[in-house]
Amino acid sequence: MNEVCFKNLNEKEPWSLATYEANGGYSVWKRVIKGEFTPEEIIDELKVSGLRGRGGAGFPTGLKWSFMPRNDDGQKYVVCNSDEGEPGTCKDRDILRFNPHSVIEGMAIGGYVMNASVGYNYIRGEFMEPFYRFEGALKEAYKAGLLGENIFDSAVSFDLHTHLGAGAYICGEETALIESIEGKKGQPRFKPPFPANVGLFGKPTTVNNTESFASVPEILSKGGKWFADLGVENSGGCKLFSVSGHVNNPSNFEVPMGTPFKDLLKMAGGIRKGKKLKAVIPGGSSTPVLTAEEAMSMNMDYDSIEKAGSMLGAGSVIIMDDSTCMVEALTRLAHFYYDESCGQCTPCREGTGWLYRVLKRILDGNGKIDDLDLLQQVGSNIMGNTICALGDAAAMPVESFLRNFYSEFEYYIKNGKSMVKDNV
Amino acid sequence: MFEIEIDGKIVNANPGENLITVTDREGISVPRFCYHNKLSVSANCRMCLVDVEGATKPQPACSTPVSNGMRVSTKNDKAKSSQKAVMEFLLINHPLDCPICDQGGECELQDVAMSYSSDVSRFNEGKRVIADSDIGPLIQTDMTRCIHCTRCVRFGAEIAGIMEMGGTGRGDSLKIEPFLQEGIQSELSGNMIDLCPVGALTSKPFRYELRSWQMNAVEGIARHDSVGSNIHIQTYKGKVKRVVARNNDNINETWISDRDRFSCDGLNHENRLQKPQIKYDGVWKETEWDTALVYSTKALLREVIDNKEESKLGALASNNATLEEYYLLRKLLKQVGSDNTDYRLNIKDLSNTINLDSNIKIKDIENIDYALLVGSYTRLEQPMINHRLRKSSLNGATIDVINSMSFNYNLPINSEYILNSSQIANLLARTLKAILLSKEQEIPGYLDKFKVSDADTQLANKLLSSDKSAIILGEHLINSDNSSNIANLISIIAEKTSSSTLNLSETGNSIAAKSTGFVPNENGLDANEMLASKMNAYILLDVYPKYDFHNSVSAINALRDEKTFVIALNSFKDSDVFDYADVILPISSYYETSGTHTNVEGEMQSFSAAVGSPKDIKPAWKVLKVLADLLDLSGFNYTDSSKVTSEAKQQIKQNIEHDREINLINTKGVEIIWQPSPYSTDALLRHSNSLQATKIGQLNTASMSASTAKSLKLSDTDNYLGVPVVISEVVADKCVFISSSNETISEKIS
Repeated sequence: MNEVCFKNLNEKEPWSLATYEANGGYSVWKRVIKGEFTPEEIIDELKVSGLRGRGGAGFPTGLKWSFMPRNDDGQKYVVCNSDEGEPGTCKDRDILRFNPHSVIEGMAIGGYVMNASVGYNYIRGEFMEPFYRFEGALKEAYKAGLLGENIFDSAVSFDLHTHLGAGAYICGEETALIESIEGKKGQPRFKPPFPANVGLFGKPTTVNNTESFASVPEILSKGGKWFADLGVENSGGCKLFSVSGHVNNPSNFEVPMGTPFKDLLKMAGGIRKGKKLKAVIPGGSSTPVLTAEEAMSMNMDYDSIEKAGSMLGAGSVIIMDDSTCMVEALTRLAHFYYDESCGQCTPCREGTGWLYRVLKRILDGNGKIDDLDLLQQVGSNIMGNTICALGDAAAMPVESFLRNFYSEFEYYIKNGKSMVKDNV
Repeated sequence: MFEIEIDGKIVNANPGENLITVTDREGISVPRFCYHNKLSVSANCRMCLVDVEGATKPQPACSTPVSNGMRVSTKNDKAKSSQKAVMEFLLINHPLDCPICDQGGECELQDVAMSYSSDVSRFNEGKRVIADSDIGPLIQTDMTRCIHCTRCVRFGAEIAGIMEMGGTGRGDSLKIEPFLQEGIQSELSGNMIDLCPVGALTSKPFRYELRSWQMNAVEGIARHDSVGSNIHIQTYKGKVKRVVARNNDNINETWISDRDRFSCDGLNHENRLQKPQIKYDGVWKETEWDTALVYSTKALLREVIDNKEESKLGALASNNATLEEYYLLRKLLKQVGSDNTDYRLNIKDLSNTINLDSNIKIKDIENIDYALLVGSYTRLEQPMINHRLRKSSLNGATIDVINSMSFNYNLPINSEYILNSSQIANLLARTLKAILLSKEQEIPGYLDKFKVSDADTQLANKLLSSDKSAIILGEHLINSDNSSNIANLISIIAEKTSSSTLNLSETGNSIAAKSTGFVPNENGLDANEMLASKMNAYILLDVYPKYDFHNSVSAINALRDEKTFVIALNSFKDSDVFDYADVILPISSYYETSGTHTNVEGEMQSFSAAVGSPKDIKPAWKVLKVLADLLDLSGFNYTDSSKVTSEAKQQIKQNIEHDREINLINTKGVEIIWQPSPYSTDALLRHSNSLQATKIGQLNTASMSASTAKSLKLSDTDNYLGVPVVISEVVADKCVFISSSNETISEKIS
């Protein structure tokens, strides 16, 4: 546990440059500056490590970095996505709070590999403490000469800027994030072109998640194979899981990929006293909900969770015990997506509002049994038809809640009240 | 080029094209709302989703680039179900108020819904309602109907050059609205009405008038500037109801200016002349055409033709008559022995005029890499030329401006020289000298006194180093002491630097007037000479002295002379006409007559009458023909106007030779530049209530610098020549720039 991003968690002032360097921090960056790694070697090492994008999509990081036209002329950018807005997720917040230098080092290495001399860290608007921590770390790094022009008199230059968001969930989508850095309204761009070709300010850009960047220095320091071996096949390394909800000890845990869900639940102190596990959203609110049985038999890695019927996503595990009314829970989620849709494309702008309004009507006791079919159809009409993944994210909970807890919805409509609250 | 398969059909596609370009070319229908071929792709409506083999999700045809061997289905179950899903989403919050919506019948949403939606809505929640705000006199909003396609937003950002509409809020509270309370100001705003696929933005003057299917659409040409934008004139029961854009990629693409779109408003103004009138014993009487024409003929015979002693007949015309009218009037005069014809009524000194040939096509303006814009605010004066110029700028062209005042351009200006007209002439002279020095060519004597500065050399180098440069000369300098000098310097500079020239100082249809020889030859009198010498008779073709002459009061006095017989052919009543005319003949206005417009590139575009003239109103070309017949003149046996057109075309004078003598003059005192506001340049515009209600229509400012104001003892609470003073530091010193439709200015200036 706690071997990569949370390595220094128990040290004194783990966020300080002194602590970071005392534990081997920036050694990889210094070797990179000395020319001990070629960009190709770093990409290969990342491919070996099996590191997959920690923001939720799980795209292999090494492969992503290799897409950048590093030898083309002109400015290129690396961007760190710290706009951690997915309900259930709080891991990047803690990386920024407790290990900001790992993000700086990871981004600098990324800049070197992709030949980008400028980086931006886009931090969620509500994250004031992490923002100041990161800014402080940035100052330390500049003061120590680790960033800037011709670092340590080498040919390597890297400037890093922090950009604070303004509270829109959609800015966590990489192209909306890019628009937001450019000073525009946060709305996703259609793809192609992809950011690796036309990104920030129209230049080739790679956007990675905070945890992905933070993992890079340790991978390069200990080797890709070491990292891959921490995890299981197809899911290399370890991963931060944010466990929240009806557990006794909600927290972030950095555990090897493939850790059984049961064990993770135990680490989080188990279900609140006297209650039973009812449902689990394993990867953040956008991923399908699982029943207790499905969850208890799965392991925390990409393939196993997919087999169970959901997605690992950002590793945001929301635990619901048997006091949870699933109609109410889904309505709350639907409201979130309705509120956060950017409004740009039709299915999401209109569909999220439709889903929420129907659910709200059911919750108010005015539902009709046909509404359940309608919800499913509206959800599937949004699915896959939108510019970005927010539409899918809004549709997936609807589909899975209805699939796994249909009777509860049926009961609510017929009786005008919750089955759960009735029994409690 | 490679092959792709769409719906089982093998078609050719070019690398880099989007799928929808190919389907449109092949006539394969793909529904869409946000896509428009002249705007950037936004892919936000999702209506054009199609199934691309290999892609898990349906792909929007508008933003999916084609690739070799691609296989696409636009109509299989996957594509159809996505399209139907999007259609349903678009309709849930749409009010479906087609019966009371002006867009009904020409609504893209309505049309597509016929094929892609179900007849019963599954949406039982409350619909979204948006409160409307008044965004100006031209565009009516009903934003509850908006489907957020953002065509209007992109139009503002990309075509009009000022982003006036924008999306505020997010999710289903996203609202398309102007950012500013003052509403929509763009001179191209009406195009948003054409672009809007639903009834959210409709024409305010046309509101609740008719359904589109009730009207006939006639192809026409807009004549308010020297572009000749292509339009559709929509008519109902013999009345022009609406004007919309007609695509012509060589001229106006799919856009037209608000001036061209909304001027038709004026046609039914109560101020139209309805019946011929004659002044008999000092009293005006309405009469029949026969009487009026015979009366006119007799007078012409008496005063001019049979009057061997002194036979002075003059013809003056506005600058927006048709080619045929200019030709016939000229022919008529010539046959009765007069060469006195002129249309240049607004020029003080006709020996000092702008002679500059244009030699660039409108569509090529967007490909230039450098433009020097002299004395023009193209944005309001020639909006479609400005559109091309803006495109060139977006393509990377550098634009420099020389003028006496700085304007609110909608394109980036590299360097701006704000100078009075003598300084402008001097700058051009120094630039020419720099060019000649750099080319090591002989320096003519008139350039001796000039010292070339580094800045002059820089300007010269821009012209010399550009592959495709253009010098554009506008209307602002027509009455400067150095008008002909400036035009000639530009002509020589262009020749030395292989630059194109574009002369925008001639507007309306004046290029046609010039080409038919409507300017006097050496035997004839020009407009100013006619007014100065007592004429026996005048034929006035659509002239409104108060607005058209640079010296209106003295012009009216000259026309009013008791011994002068004036035949006035007018469309609109002008209070003064009863003072100076002896016969008033009501003639057809725009769209009521056939004719030809010649634009700045020399393109002659003929048009037919979209509607018949109202009862007792005749097209001017017919009036002139009958007048000639009654005068027993030969060669007027025309059966329709196209016979006149073909005869006139044979005698067209292209690029009349003129010397390029240069004799620079130093202006003394305060220089006044008077530019009629863009919506008051002809009678129809002045009668269009909707245009007059706009900010542009109400332009009324006399701009001057603080020091000029001081020297004139004025402050910004005063009026100057009846126009409110605006103190502005972007006006050249010792210059007053007047933008106004105020009819009393012209006399005060001269």
